[in-house]
Amino acid sequence: MIKNWFVVLLACIGLQLNAQDLELGKVSIDELKVKQHPKDSSAVAAIIFNRAKTTFKYNLKDGFSIGTEFQVRVKIYKKEGLNWATFKVPFYIGYEDRNDESVQFSDAVTYNLVNGVIEKSKLKSEGSFVTKVNEYWKEASITLPNVKVGSIIEFKYFLKSENIIKFPSFYFQYEIPVNFAQFTTAIPGFFVYKALVSGFAPIKTAQKVSGGSFSFPSRYDRTRTDFVNFQQVISTYSAENIPALKPEPFVDNLQNYRACLKHELEKTQFYQEPEKDYASTWEGVSTSIFEDKNFGKQLDFGLFFLDDVKEIIKNDTNTPLSSEEKMNRIFTYVQQRMNWNHENGYYTDKGVKDAYSSRAGNSAEINFILINMLRIAGVDANPVLVSTLDHGVPVYPNRTGFNYVIASATIEGKNVLLDATNKYTSPDILPLKLLNWQGRLIRKDGSSEEINLVPKQPSSINHNLFAKINSTGKIEGKFKVYHTATEAFLFRENQANQDQNTYLERLENKWNGLEITGYGTEENKTISSQAISEKFDFSTVNHCEIIAGKLYVNPMLFLTSAINPFVQENREMPIYFAYPKNRKYNFNIEIPAGYAVESSPKPIKISTQGNEVVFSMNSTVVGNTIQMIVSEEIKGALFKAEFYPELKTFYQNVINKQNEKIILSKI
Amino acid sequence: MRITTLVVLFAAIFASSLNAQKINYTAVTIADSIKNNANAVIRLNQLDISIASQRSMNIKTKRVVTVLNELGLKAVDAVENFDKRRTVKNIEAVVYDNFGIEIKKIKRKDFKEQSASGGSTLFSDGRFIYLEYTPTQYPFTIVYESEIETSNTAFIPTWSLLSEYNVSIEKSIVNVNVPQALGFRKKEFNFANFKIKTIVDSPTQLQYEALNIIAEKYEDYTPAAKVFPRVMMGLENFNLEGVDGTAKNWKEYGKWFSENILIGTTSLSEEAKAKIKALVGTETDPIKKAKIVYKFVQEKSRYVSVQVGIGGFKPMLASDVDRLGYGDCKALSNYTRALLEVVGVPSYYTELYGDRDIRNIEADFFSIQGNHAILCIPNADESIFLECTSQDDPFGFQANFTDDRDVVVMKPEGGEIIHTKKYHDNANGQISTGNYSLDAQGNLTGAIKIVSTGSQYQSKASIEKMQPADKDIHYKRYWTNINNLKIAKIELQNDKDKIHFVENISLSAENYAPNTGGKMMVAINSYNQFLGTIKRIRNRKNPFEIPRGYLDTDEIAVALPAGFQIEFLPANFELKTKFGDYKTEIIKKDNNNLVYKRTILIKKGIYANSDYDGYRLFMEQIAKNDNAKLLLTKI
Repeated sequence: MIKNWFVVLLACIGLQLNAQDLELGKVSIDELKVKQHPKDSSAVAAIIFNRAKTTFKYNLKDGFSIGTEFQVRVKIYKKEGLNWATFKVPFYIGYEDRNDESVQFSDAVTYNLVNGVIEKSKLKSEGSFVTKVNEYWKEASITLPNVKVGSIIEFKYFLKSENIIKFPSFYFQYEIPVNFAQFTTAIPGFFVYKALVSGFAPIKTAQKVSGGSFSFPSRYDRTRTDFVNFQQVISTYSAENIPALKPEPFVDNLQNYRACLKHELEKTQFYQEPEKDYASTWEGVSTSIFEDKNFGKQLDFGLFFLDDVKEIIKNDTNTPLSSEEKMNRIFTYVQQRMNWNHENGYYTDKGVKDAYSSRAGNSAEINFILINMLRIAGVDANPVLVSTLDHGVPVYPNRTGFNYVIASATIEGKNVLLDATNKYTSPDILPLKLLNWQGRLIRKDGSSEEINLVPKQPSSINHNLFAKINSTGKIEGKFKVYHTATEAFLFRENQANQDQNTYLERLENKWNGLEITGYGTEENKTISSQAISEKFDFSTVNHCEIIAGKLYVNPMLFLTSAINPFVQENREMPIYFAYPKNRKYNFNIEIPAGYAVESSPKPIKISTQGNEVVFSMNSTVVGNTIQMIVSEEIKGALFKAEFYPELKTFYQNVINKQNEKIILSKI
Repeated sequence: MRITTLVVLFAAIFASSLNAQKINYTAVTIADSIKNNANAVIRLNQLDISIASQRSMNIKTKRVVTVLNELGLKAVDAVENFDKRRTVKNIEAVVYDNFGIEIKKIKRKDFKEQSASGGSTLFSDGRFIYLEYTPTQYPFTIVYESEIETSNTAFIPTWSLLSEYNVSIEKSIVNVNVPQALGFRKKEFNFANFKIKTIVDSPTQLQYEALNIIAEKYEDYTPAAKVFPRVMMGLENFNLEGVDGTAKNWKEYGKWFSENILIGTTSLSEEAKAKIKALVGTETDPIKKAKIVYKFVQEKSRYVSVQVGIGGFKPMLASDVDRLGYGDCKALSNYTRALLEVVGVPSYYTELYGDRDIRNIEADFFSIQGNHAILCIPNADESIFLECTSQDDPFGFQANFTDDRDVVVMKPEGGEIIHTKKYHDNANGQISTGNYSLDAQGNLTGAIKIVSTGSQYQSKASIEKMQPADKDIHYKRYWTNINNLKIAKIELQNDKDKIHFVENISLSAENYAPNTGGKMMVAINSYNQFLGTIKRIRNRKNPFEIPRGYLDTDEIAVALPAGFQIEFLPANFELKTKFGDYKTEIIKKDNNNLVYKRTILIKKGIYANSDYDGYRLFMEQIAKNDNAKLLLTKI
């Protein structure tokens, strides 16, 4: 039993704390005098300490509750840090079978140094608010009095919840530096939680087992008090000098990198009751999710859809429909019939039947309808739990790591991933918000498997261009662009979200005053089932310079990249490209009569050491035509931060190359 | 008079009962001409406002909207706000399919409710109730009805047509009924180009009808408030958050506001008075005193917005601001006023519409129009206005939020409309002086000093507050034309007395001038290229506005690499148009040293739609010439 308490990830180190300075109310003159943060002079404010302790309580009426007391001290260094004098804590009030959560602030004080003397200003009720945000959430907030540059503020708050599955999260890291953070949990032996750490900060852990007890009025005789004695594990997690969390571009979700400790309920074991497994293994996760009435049962409604499915897969030919054909038809049907209500989730809300008849539902309802229909049509299909990008990454077996469900159909032994909530997805093409690490395919029998959500095949955009330059520098031509796979999905979604005029105006703007006529799009089933192309005629006077009688043209015309997307000097977080992609450019440029190519960019291939990203450019001159073939490939979806310098240099070289000119001179 | 009203009234009733039968909610019958550019068509928008007394107003809305596609969804606009003095008596919707067959009824309990707190507001007792409907097909038609009851008769909703782009209107009606004694007044805006019929216009009733208004397309730089029709309405005898008021004009409103709302809000403790007096010391000049007080407020306070009931209008007590050190625009302006009073400097609480777009308080029409408060200090030639919510703004600085507009200044003898400081084209300056040199590989090394004033000061001042890494990124994005940019030194000076923002930047860039086959191409204007483009708009319909002009001047010394000679030097260039002037000049000091000079003046103004292409061409020529290249050949 005891060995379960030790979290695999965390080393157990005895920690000697100098707790004296870290108590509320003991602010020193020295602390108030400090003008800037010792380790980060740019810090607008800093959390001097953030300590929290979570304990359990029990009463006969409501059962167990989790209470967490947070104690926080903040120092304000600059005016821009004054907003740290306002603090908000949201809490959940949407339970059907439990009391609302509650948050109680207390001991909130501002300290200032006035003529060498510490001046205390206490928070009164006028600076404390509770807002009912909506039917599910309330928010408690305080704004401290008399806060100026140099002030120190302190407060504590108590968060109480009866939901023992949702253990409070503790954040070691904020947008300002944290000098010291400590989270203590006292967890009675009836509960086993798994502690999950994320982020980069080194966290020290100490654990000990001690006795605990609950007392409550006796059920039978109110004048007597009953006691329950138990063993509990006191765990202490602490970290020092945690730098501010700073956003960077090309990041999947900044929150994935915030140093944080979460707890996932693994099992409960009460006296004389069997152990209840929640989520210690994938099997446990699958089983506990399947048992919920809004999951497993909702996948057993195949017969309800039978008539409609018969109609959808009606076959007028002699050759029987392949599984793939059935899947495609059913997918398209569900995608067109159903309308997503923008609610995520892997449990149904009103149920698949109701959703089906009202033609609208959440992600579980729509994709469960799909699974039900596929199964009744004889296609093996299973739910895959996934996490959307904004929800973070699921790493260990747990339920709360996921917030969305899609379908997987087995076609010729392969899994094909399907999300019918979006009008523009197709089999194996998922919306970008789902391209987030791994999903988990789960079956009723408790078995499960990891599913890679990031496409292995690259998505491409291929550009074909025929252009004619005249001697005044005007360029006219025809342009055709093919989008495949995820790129095609994005293109379609983007087109649906704006009218064509706006889109064309944006293109003309982006391409520096290009004039576009005869625009049209076309489905290209021959290239791949999802491909789509757009074509137009163009003319421009802004892409050729005449200097001293010679014409200077960028080899990639208006598609030249001028700006390196990676400008920061240092990188902390992995670089996220969402999915592997490539771009190809096939340009034929006819030069004006009476001119010859004086120079054109030399062929080149640029790549990173491991060929993770590759760029090549080739040009040949045939008669009065220059042919340019350019290709750019990004072979991965997520790269380590250490790769950043190489990537930055790569892009720099690519941009330098693209900005070399074709020079045309008179014969 | 009476008879005609009755006839009209009868006609109106007759017409509307006729309509009730005629309206069919199918989308099939909508004329193609009205679907042009439209993502949604408002079949009917009927706003019935009946004011029973000074303390009771009832607002009924019936809106029938056919949504043609996803982009038209927001035209449904099924949302109402409410609070202690404003209740939603009824709210419901019915959805019809393309053929007018009912597919869903949405009752009040199916609407969602949410707090109005959030964003910059920490707490507000306001809430709103809204429809969250997942369409299952397009087109569909939604019939939305609501009824609001409020005692706040100071806020009669503005009737505005075309408040959204790409939405056409088949029919829009507003009908106001009000007892004569309350003194109902209205002001019409931009009716000229639209077919709006005035059905009734009497002291007790106002009714307009607009038919078949075709959707407007969004066009950049359109001054919407000066183009699209709307009607502002108000009462002489109104109730504002539980307080009765009477005012025919701004003068009377100012007097009422001073006597009823501001009264008793400026008292301060003896301790607070003594403190500010001590700070001001022996200073006698009122403006210098005001500067001391303003600096004190900036250091002591921060912006926190808490809006409860009359708190939405009445400033928090100055003594509370003094004690707590925070407040919203009203509280901080009034607190500053209280402090100035203690040191004998008169100042006036001021209401206005604060926005980057310039929007006046209508001088000749009183109704509640503001969204912000500042403080006015009378001064010999030009009043000084203080933005009291900012901890950083220089004394009297107003550019880009409260500048160049009519505001109402609450003097004890009455309200007065005053126009705030106008930042003239020349006053929004950016003066750059600097240099750069190139080596034989085309690498650039340089330094520049940029001094910004006026509205350009405002755009730059926030750089000072950025984190070091963000400053670095800011400059790399600012000079996107310089590839491989490395920023060596950033030195910023914010001179709040002169209101100058000074940037001293040293930088370098590898391969700035690509060296191809012994020839080097140098974009001579490295520091201040106009990189934007002005969008081509086919057949622009509406006028466009440049709300603030500016003047940039650059003088840059350029040192060319040894071993190269100039093969081509771009010609000097000059443009003079109604939109502004532009001039560049390259002076050759010797074989290796040039001086590049550039001035660009953009003029504030409202220009006709037909001028747009001219403006676009002007900016395009500037962009082109800003990228002019010098050609060097290796000797």
